[in-house]
Amino acid sequence: MELTAEQQSVLDGSRGPYLAKCMRWLVEWGGVMGAGRLIPVTNTHALFPVANVMARGASRHTLEQQAADLREACSHATAPGCVCTVHTLFLTMDELDTPENDPEQVRAQREINALAAEAGFLNTFTCAPYLVGNVPLKGEICAWTESSAVVYANSILGARTTRHGTESAMAASLLGLVPEFGVLLDEHRKGTLRIEVSADLDSPTDWGALGYFAGNRAGLGIPVFHGVRRPSQDEAKQLCAALATSGGVSMCHIAGVTPEAPTLEAAFHGDVPAEYLSFTDETLRGMYRALRNPTGEEIDTVILGCPHASIHEIAEIAALLKGRRIAAHVRLWVDAARATRASADAMGYTAIIEAAGGRILCDTCPTNMRMPARRIVTPGFKQAHYARGMIGAEVIVAETRPCIEAAVAGRWLGDE
Amino acid sequence: MSEPVTVKGRGVVGGCAEGEALVADAMLSFWGEVDPVQGTVIAVGHPLEGCCLRGRVLVIRSTKGSSATPMVLGLAKLEGNAPVAFVNLEVDSLAALGCIVNSIPMITDLERSPFEFIRTGDRVRVDADRGIVEVTARG
Repeated sequence: MELTAEQQSVLDGSRGPYLAKCMRWLVEWGGVMGAGRLIPVTNTHALFPVANVMARGASRHTLEQQAADLREACSHATAPGCVCTVHTLFLTMDELDTPENDPEQVRAQREINALAAEAGFLNTFTCAPYLVGNVPLKGEICAWTESSAVVYANSILGARTTRHGTESAMAASLLGLVPEFGVLLDEHRKGTLRIEVSADLDSPTDWGALGYFAGNRAGLGIPVFHGVRRPSQDEAKQLCAALATSGGVSMCHIAGVTPEAPTLEAAFHGDVPAEYLSFTDETLRGMYRALRNPTGEEIDTVILGCPHASIHEIAEIAALLKGRRIAAHVRLWVDAARATRASADAMGYTAIIEAAGGRILCDTCPTNMRMPARRIVTPGFKQAHYARGMIGAEVIVAETRPCIEAAVAGRWLGDE
Repeated sequence: MSEPVTVKGRGVVGGCAEGEALVADAMLSFWGEVDPVQGTVIAVGHPLEGCCLRGRVLVIRSTKGSSATPMVLGLAKLEGNAPVAFVNLEVDSLAALGCIVNSIPMITDLERSPFEFIRTGDRVRVDADRGIVEVTARG
């Protein structure tokens, strides 16, 4: 990869050993992925959670080393002019003194958060930064972690980001540079798999089913959806999250919706393949079946807001819960960004959800917290997929309304 | 013991390592599908469900899913549970990053599909500096 004199000098240590290491990561990563140069980045979504319960049982040395690396990273200022938001944590800052949390790790996370704020990071603690003000423009070069948000940024907003991890997003935030490869370049944004959709997609969860199907088939490629109507923001969020769960997708095209794909032809850069996969009503039903493995009807947990809920989703949940009471043995958690909860507080939605016995969980999600649960109902394909292994729970993926009905009844009542 | 088979590929992240192969023609996310403390695959229904990654040469299609893959790979490495090398059919940017920051050799673009000649339990030596894998079939 070709470096400017200034970039080379950072690599050689002119701005200290940590930024030299960051530069080395970007240069090596870019070299491996076929980048020819580093280009400026104006928008990042970084990740710096201490491992805490996510790595329950890890040695003291592991926990301390991981926290020390994050502390060092957050001790450097973010690049001038770069908007840097922050991904979720593995705990909620609302409730730190719990038996599950490791007090040393809590202390480390507080310290890292303070350092990060000082460094210029916006501590949004969300997996859906586009819901809380980080909305990059078409063509904007970004460096985002969170697989679902990467797909959303590329496919719905038309911004450009490769799939970033902790280290690369941190390096990009501090240096203001990313290696130019993959979907940052026009030629790598061409569709690779055509999917003709005949199924009726009636809800965000239905769109999640489409994503769960397509991600698995597309792998690291770019699926193109044809024959669908324009999704709502909540539906697009579910589609993108599921694509990046069953696959390693960086982006998709929805013909007529994705900013650079007004038509099927445009999505394939003029080269539309004759072969395609069909997504029918039967395929749709099969996706729901794939993420339903209950051995009984009784449920103990309802998880809403994966990815983090929009204010619109919270309004909908509050409307369904108003004046009702969740079954005593059921936890109902709505995961959301702190900024979204502040809006929900102001609108009275938080009070309605709490009066019904639910709560709005900020900064994290139950999967990140590895919250014990036996049987979970959720509208999120991503949550349902990962909760099976991370939490060891049985799951039922369903639209929001039947999830709420199950919460009130304390058992799964079916889809109607 | 049978004769080792040597196949050329492209070294993605340099280094040499040797271990027993763990093979699946599938994708894997480290966050959400691997427990870094147990070192095991926890994804329900995954072909590698329940398998331990510690010291293994991980032969998979590619990583997928979560962007916390490099972080979880790092935690697994600190716990002594990481694979010693990756042999992948395709390179996901997150596997590449994870291998770079955790100094784990990675190789791809083998002349033959790895799923044709590497089986779980085979002894595999990965020389990512020279772009070579050497496979000795299990007894």
